[in-house]
Amino acid sequence: MKDACRRCFQKVSEYLDGELEREICEEVEAHLRECPQCSKCYDSLRKTIQLCREGAMEEIPQDVHRRLRSAILECLEKREG
Amino acid sequence: MKKAANDTTDQRLIAQFKAGSAEAMEKIIEKYENSIFTFGLKMCGHRQDAEDIVQETFLNAFRYLEGFRQETKLRNWLFKIAARVCQKKRRKRKYEPDQELSLEALGQLNGSEGTFDIPDWSQLPSDEVLTAELKQVIQDAIVSLPPKYRFVFNLRDIQGFNTEETAEIMGISTQSVKTRLHRARLFLREKIASRYREGKTR
Repeated sequence: MKDACRRCFQKVSEYLDGELEREICEEVEAHLRECPQCSKCYDSLRKTIQLCREGAMEEIPQDVHRRLRSAILECLEKREG
Repeated sequence: MKKAANDTTDQRLIAQFKAGSAEAMEKIIEKYENSIFTFGLKMCGHRQDAEDIVQETFLNAFRYLEGFRQETKLRNWLFKIAARVCQKKRRKRKYEPDQELSLEALGQLNGSEGTFDIPDWSQLPSDEVLTAELKQVIQDAIVSLPPKYRFVFNLRDIQGFNTEETAEIMGISTQSVKTRLHRARLFLREKIASRYREGKTR
C-alpha cells in the first residue's frame, strides 16, 4: 500500500463520521478523488455501515415485552410492600 | 424528535415516576425497550440473553432512578447500565478472549480490487426472504466481532451515540472509541462481503 493510501485507509472512518480536522479532511478528500482503490474502500465501508444500521434494529417480541412488565411490577411491588 | 425536546420528555417522565406514577414507568419502558433489546441481542447473540439484559437493565434503572442526576441523559444512563449487565453476563458465560484486530491485517485485505462487494441497502429489492437472510448475515457478523469492538460498534453505529457519549458509557478514551470503531467496521466489511460472495457463487 502506498503511503498516501495507507494514510487514507487509517483515516477513512473518521472522514465518514465528519470527525477530521479541516486540513486532514481536505487531504483525504483530494486523495479519494484521484485514487480509485481508496475510493472503493470508502464506498464499501460506507455501505457496510448503512447496511448494518438499517438491518440491525429489532423489535422486542410480544412475549418478552409482557414478561418484562410483570417482572418489573412484581419487583417494585415487593419493594413497596 | 429533537434531542432537547426528547430530554425534556425524559425529565418529565422521571419526575412523574419519582412521584409514584406507574404510567411514567410504562412510558419509559416503551420508549427504550426495543433499542436495549437490540443492543442485548447484538452483544450476546441469543434471544434469551437479550431478554435477561433488558429485564436486568430496567430493574436496576427503576431501583436507582430515585438518585438519578438531572444533568445525565436517561438514554445514556440506561445504556451504561445495559453495558454493565452485558459485561457481567459475558464474564459468567464461556471464556471469550478479547482478541485484538490488527489494522495491518485488515489493511492487507484491502489490497485486491473489487473484493468488497457490499450490497447497497437503498438498492435492494423489497423481497422479505432476502431481507431476513441479509439480516441474519449482519447479525452473525456483528456477534463474531471480538467483544471490545462489538461494544463500540453497537453503541456508535447501531444505537447512534456519538464518540464522546460512547467513551463515557464504556469508560474509555475517545481515541480508543475511534480506533475500535474503525477496526470493527473493516472487520464487518470483510465478513459481510465474504458471506455475500459465497451466496452469489452458490
